[in-house]
Amino acid sequence: MGHTKHNPIVRALFNDDDIVLDAVKDLRSNGFSVNEVYSPFPIHGLDEAMGLKRTRLSTAAFFYGLVGLFFASWLTYYTMIVDWPQNIGGKPNAYWFVNMPSFVPIMFELTVFFAAHLMCWSYFAVNGLYPGAKAQNPDPRTTDDHFLMEVELEGDEAALTAKLQELGALEISKLEE
Amino acid sequence: MNGTTINITVDGTTLENVPVWIQPGQTQGSIGLALGYGRTEAGKVGNNVGVNANELLAPAVNYAEATVVASEVEHGFASVQLAHTMMGRKIVNEINLPTFLSGNAKEWNEKPTFESYKGPLSSFEANLWDDQDHETSHMWNMSIDLNSCTGCGACVVACSLENNVPVVGKDEVRRHRDMHWLRIDRYYSSDMTNEVAEEEGVGAIEKYAKMEVPSESPSVVFQPVMCQHCNHAPCETVCPVGATVHSREGLNHMAYNRCIGTRYCANNCPYKVRRFNWFNYQVNDKFTDVNPSQDDYGRMVLNPDVTVRARGVIEKCSLCIQRIQMGKLEAKKDGRQLTDGEFTTACAQACGSGAIVFGDVNNPKSEVSHLKQEERAYHLLEEVGTQPSIFYQTKVRNRA
Amino acid sequence: MHYESPVRNPLILGDKSYSDITNDIAKPVESKAPRSWWIAFSIAFVMFLWGVGCILYTIGTGIGVWGLNKTIDWAWDITNFVWWVGIGHAGTLISAVLLLFRQKWRMAINRSAEAMTIFSVIQAGLFPLIHMGRIWMAYWVMPIPNQYGTLWVNFNSPLLWDVFAISTYLTVSTVFWYVGLIPDFAMIRDRAINPIQKHIYKLLSFGWGGKAKHWQRFEEVSLVLAGLATPLVLSVHTIVSMDFATSVIPGWHTTIFPPYFVAGAIFSGFAMVQTLLLIVRKIFKMEDYINIEHIEMMNIVIMVTGSIVGVAYITELFIAWYSGVEYEQYAFLNRATGPYWWAYWAMMSCNVFSPQFMWSKKLRTNLVFTFIISIVVNIGMWFERFVIIVTSLHRDYLPSSWSMFSPTFVDIGIFIGTIGFFFVLFLLYARTFPVIAQAELKTILKSSGENFKKHHDEHGAH
Repeated sequence: MGHTKHNPIVRALFNDDDIVLDAVKDLRSNGFSVNEVYSPFPIHGLDEAMGLKRTRLSTAAFFYGLVGLFFASWLTYYTMIVDWPQNIGGKPNAYWFVNMPSFVPIMFELTVFFAAHLMCWSYFAVNGLYPGAKAQNPDPRTTDDHFLMEVELEGDEAALTAKLQELGALEISKLEE
Repeated sequence: MNGTTINITVDGTTLENVPVWIQPGQTQGSIGLALGYGRTEAGKVGNNVGVNANELLAPAVNYAEATVVASEVEHGFASVQLAHTMMGRKIVNEINLPTFLSGNAKEWNEKPTFESYKGPLSSFEANLWDDQDHETSHMWNMSIDLNSCTGCGACVVACSLENNVPVVGKDEVRRHRDMHWLRIDRYYSSDMTNEVAEEEGVGAIEKYAKMEVPSESPSVVFQPVMCQHCNHAPCETVCPVGATVHSREGLNHMAYNRCIGTRYCANNCPYKVRRFNWFNYQVNDKFTDVNPSQDDYGRMVLNPDVTVRARGVIEKCSLCIQRIQMGKLEAKKDGRQLTDGEFTTACAQACGSGAIVFGDVNNPKSEVSHLKQEERAYHLLEEVGTQPSIFYQTKVRNRA
Repeated sequence: MHYESPVRNPLILGDKSYSDITNDIAKPVESKAPRSWWIAFSIAFVMFLWGVGCILYTIGTGIGVWGLNKTIDWAWDITNFVWWVGIGHAGTLISAVLLLFRQKWRMAINRSAEAMTIFSVIQAGLFPLIHMGRIWMAYWVMPIPNQYGTLWVNFNSPLLWDVFAISTYLTVSTVFWYVGLIPDFAMIRDRAINPIQKHIYKLLSFGWGGKAKHWQRFEEVSLVLAGLATPLVLSVHTIVSMDFATSVIPGWHTTIFPPYFVAGAIFSGFAMVQTLLLIVRKIFKMEDYINIEHIEMMNIVIMVTGSIVGVAYITELFIAWYSGVEYEQYAFLNRATGPYWWAYWAMMSCNVFSPQFMWSKKLRTNLVFTFIISIVVNIGMWFERFVIIVTSLHRDYLPSSWSMFSPTFVDIGIFIGTIGFFFVLFLLYARTFPVIAQAELKTILKSSGENFKKHHDEHGAH
């Protein structure tokens, strides 16, 4: 989603998760846009407070799993029933369905394999994570014990700064566009 | 398997460290020592095997006093079989003549049945699925008559020669790694049986411990065992790469060049007929003295119709598939049907008493299909549900 | 908002802050290794090299250098395979199942437990490869189109199911572990001063910045992976047990194996986690994070799963008698009274009797006792697999093939090599990876930290 707005960003550093959470709720109820919060750990209730939509990764995982199940079924069907059916221990192979109980472990494992791996690749892709990527957090303290909030500035900068300080920010800076 | 040795002294001459084999049935207080061993000029196979009993003989003397003293030296015996009784299991089905004549085969040759919602079913009927078709083309079967089998071992020799079975030497046999595709199991009777245990109220642990011990004067049975070519083969299902599968003609195939040697098939075989190539017998210098295929001259012993297997693959009886294929091709070239007895397996061919009969059970005129109808016929371990293509004829003893 | 009942023991001891957690867990990575680490590493490395030599000898000369024979075609190779896979399952259970059950005590231990899983499964995976007669054709277990027809694999075979199961398990565990590691690598990256260290952790942390949306996805992905990994734990060891359960051999052919093996795997895995963590917490001075509460919880799991295993043993004996099948009855009488009776009784005493001591609170909170029992349990579980495999094979249907097995120095050497390799990997991990999931742990500091709990209890929850 491209932002056509080019509002400058104000960054505020906090050192407590409860304070940050309350700050986010307060700012949003006063009409500010809280674009981002960098934290060292997931803060319970933060995504709701920020108005983040539910992630669709789990739904995707379900469908990836179905892909895996379908692939496994097709693989066992094609190799054991169509392409080169053999008499193995007298087991029937006229139709896939009669031989299917033997294939359940394969079908189950491939379902899990596809669901897990494809979901993780999707996770890396949407988060922009790859080996050697530049660190996304502007302040290295946010992987230790600090929290950085990014608020869109629309209007009076001094008022926003004062509000942030009132809400418990320790450092405030402005990012020029 | 280790044993003791003794020193035998006759008239001042002592034979030292004579290995002692405890033979069930040997009269208490007697020793049998064969002449003809302990040779020194007999070549690779015969030299220094056993002791030369001739040294104890004086010319023109029929008897002399001998002293026997236990020696401290241990002897390492090489034996392919280490347990000697049937442990009360129906392995060789054995009956007496009057029982046979009484005519009730359903009693003396009872087949295992399985209770189901359809009533009692035989092992061949108790199926989770529909079987593959074995009625359209040939169906190779083999009958082994336990009455005619004398345990002579000619079949084993013939099979090993026909199929290039590696000779592995005494050390490997002591590790229980002989390569014989066909073996002759020999069982002694034991004084302890299930009936005796029930009558005398003997507990299970004591019963089995006593069952391991052969009788003082045992009766003996011989049973040639090779791959049973099971139609519900436990080995085929478990091979991860499909190196062993079933043919339309009832044979269990072994594709050496596909085998990656996991040995699962050998573990799952209830008859334990599969053999693994533990070493490269053709090259490894541990086997230079015993395996002929290490030089060009020795390789002339090999049968060119049969692959020599590489290290790391499983091998087993193939019912001489090379002979079957040859027979079928010859008939095809001539444009005629196969006749019974046109070709046969090496073991059946070598058997002097005609105990082994091989043939096509789908051919109503074949000898093997008649033998299959015999009331003495039974399958080994039928209750396991393997549906073997090999069957045995019950041994009938000529005694009351 | 951060309330936890006062009845629950604190999971983080001492007066800790978020930055204390960061420092404590980054310390072993950032500082030089203690001498004890070097000694342990040298010993493990030598064992590893010995194992490599034994494996090369086996591949070069043939499986004949092992103690196997025509009757007993699997012994130490598959015993070790199942032992190592079983140990691996505890890590996944701690990471996945305990996440689903919202057990906060898992947070201090899941990182190291998952590491243990991955390193164990690597050891396990060696055995199906090296036990093959022709390992150079191992790739034939993959269903890849080829010029032989295409000749496909046999999907009916439990050994092939193993290929898929173990591959899935190893890769999914690694991915699960790695996803959780990324925020912790980012923590080290952001503190690193040494340029090489900074570059390495920049590479490893994939650019993680702790954005809110990313944390949201992180938690969702963790939950889904946990939900996938849980049936994976159950299915993988079930499939491994099918190697035996679907065969015809008495002592192998039994439907109790899937739950029996899974319970046994968790049993031995937790014991190994105890062994490792008791050492780690002491050497890295992390007793505040891995405290008696964690040790006790794990001991309770050991006691429960050990009891399940014990019940399974008794069930096997009962069914052998009740079935009336002479082969099955003989198989079990032979186990208890035959030539391998010593292995059977080692198994029984280590697995059935020893975990029962954990009923005593005093014993299950005693560190020395825990350490000893954890090793005893793993010895017992090794014997369990040995008993199942070797005693069932050595005397099966036809007495004519009855035989005995004894290991050669190569069998033993390879096993020792895998123990060495495991510790080489674990010791390297302990020095380069954050051994506790510190980002996760921070989320429970305010509810479960000793100082915070004391404050709540005195002033009431807010």
